[in-house]
Amino acid sequence: MPQETLLRLDAVEKRFGDTVALSPTSLSIAEGSFVSVVGPSGCGKSTLFNVIAGLLRPDGGEVTLRETAVTGTTGHVGYMLQKDLLVPWRTVRDNITMAARLTRRVTPEDTAEAIRVAERYGLGEFLNHYPKALSGGMRQRVAFMRTLVTPHQLLLLDEPFGALDAQTRLEMQQWLLEVWRESGRTVLFITHDVDESIFLSDRILVMSPRPGRVVADFENPLPRPRTIDALTTPEFVGLKAQIMRLLHGGDHA
Amino acid sequence: MRKVLRNVGIPLLSLALLFGVWQAIIVMFHVNTYVAPRPWAAITAITSNWGTLWPLLLGTIRETVYGFLSGALLGIVLGVVMGKVAFIQKLIYPLLVLSQAVPSIALATPLVLIFGLTIKPIVIIVAWIVFFPVTVSIVDGLSHVDHDLLNLARVYGASKARTFWFIEMPAAVSPLFSGLKIGATYAVTGAIIGELASSTGSNLAEYQQHANANFNTAGVYGTTILMTVVGISWFLIVVGIEIWATPWLRRTTARRWGLRSLRRS
Repeated sequence: MPQETLLRLDAVEKRFGDTVALSPTSLSIAEGSFVSVVGPSGCGKSTLFNVIAGLLRPDGGEVTLRETAVTGTTGHVGYMLQKDLLVPWRTVRDNITMAARLTRRVTPEDTAEAIRVAERYGLGEFLNHYPKALSGGMRQRVAFMRTLVTPHQLLLLDEPFGALDAQTRLEMQQWLLEVWRESGRTVLFITHDVDESIFLSDRILVMSPRPGRVVADFENPLPRPRTIDALTTPEFVGLKAQIMRLLHGGDHA
Repeated sequence: MRKVLRNVGIPLLSLALLFGVWQAIIVMFHVNTYVAPRPWAAITAITSNWGTLWPLLLGTIRETVYGFLSGALLGIVLGVVMGKVAFIQKLIYPLLVLSQAVPSIALATPLVLIFGLTIKPIVIIVAWIVFFPVTVSIVDGLSHVDHDLLNLARVYGASKARTFWFIEMPAAVSPLFSGLKIGATYAVTGAIIGELASSTGSNLAEYQQHANANFNTAGVYGTTILMTVVGISWFLIVVGIEIWATPWLRRTTARRWGLRSLRRS
């Protein structure tokens, strides 16, 4: 399903002192796609994200969202980290509407939308709960709902399931695919986990450190919708082998 | 019910224990009533002089509350300004420490010289003692807000004012109450120090000195009990406000009534 470009990076680069965190990188992300970024620690994945989100101003290059330059500015993406960053003094409902609260007055529509999303994705009973009453997986769901109710088409997810146990993580991945399909959003997803990146994405970018750069760009041949069975198909294993070889520098060749 | 019994019953038990030990020491060591009265005599010294003591007690309460409120307000404002403006924090911190190094009793006399024998020097001394833990706790609270959470607010395009109001300030509420509770326990001490220096004619501290001069030991102890009751009551009121204002620390779900439902946001 080829679609028009939502996000474009033109020769974006970022240095911290003498360290090149991200060497000049150009890429474009199609609207509605699910793209993963895999790579070892220190390969510049998070730097890439922070540049796109506008938390970091790149030393060169341009970030364009729907033909509008957004380099070094914020307020144009949904953003989620491994830490759920729910505020303990707000209920689930009020945590979901947090982005609205931080930018303007929360409207009854915002609240209604938060309630709708929570009920649609199985947290309706917990709307009035404080986050500390929830399990780690549920908290990450709330964090994702908070990201989802923002008006932004592009969602940046930085290892959102990294702190969860394997069982919960698998559930969350399936859940994320369901929500993503229904929402029609564009997702850029950072992970360490090659299996996760293949299971979820249309496209996988492999990054490598010193200097941080994108070394490969794979189209994922696996058909959708995907079930857990997809994790054991030859296509899956073949793609995984290719990515692993890149990540571990020929040890497996 | 069981919880109420535990939360109220056990403190009452420890109080009874205190009075029991007091009584036992007096009886066992044959302590003369001129040196120390029995608990019951001290309590009778309060009840039988209630007509005289009540207005004095009211005065001490007023000084404590006025001083606490102004000290808390000053502490919060100063804490917020110091927490948000690094330069002011560097500028004020040494003075802050200095202010608490001055023995408050030595502060009383100059204040009386300035304000005369009124309630003002007393309130100022109370505020002087209360503002410090409040300021320190707010500065601390503001400096420990999760950096990733602040970044998240930035990504959303949040204004500084909204980030402060909806993220930083709520995050500082729990530390703030630690400061307020410390302030609440010291407030009455400040009021009594102030009363000793600023003899307004009739106050609790003077009453105690009078009782002492007249060998009315039971009166001395009775007054001490009253002062302690003021301190404990004020502390408990602050704890009550804390429980009401920070429901997320103790509850799993939000109340139907409370801060959040009063203020639509």
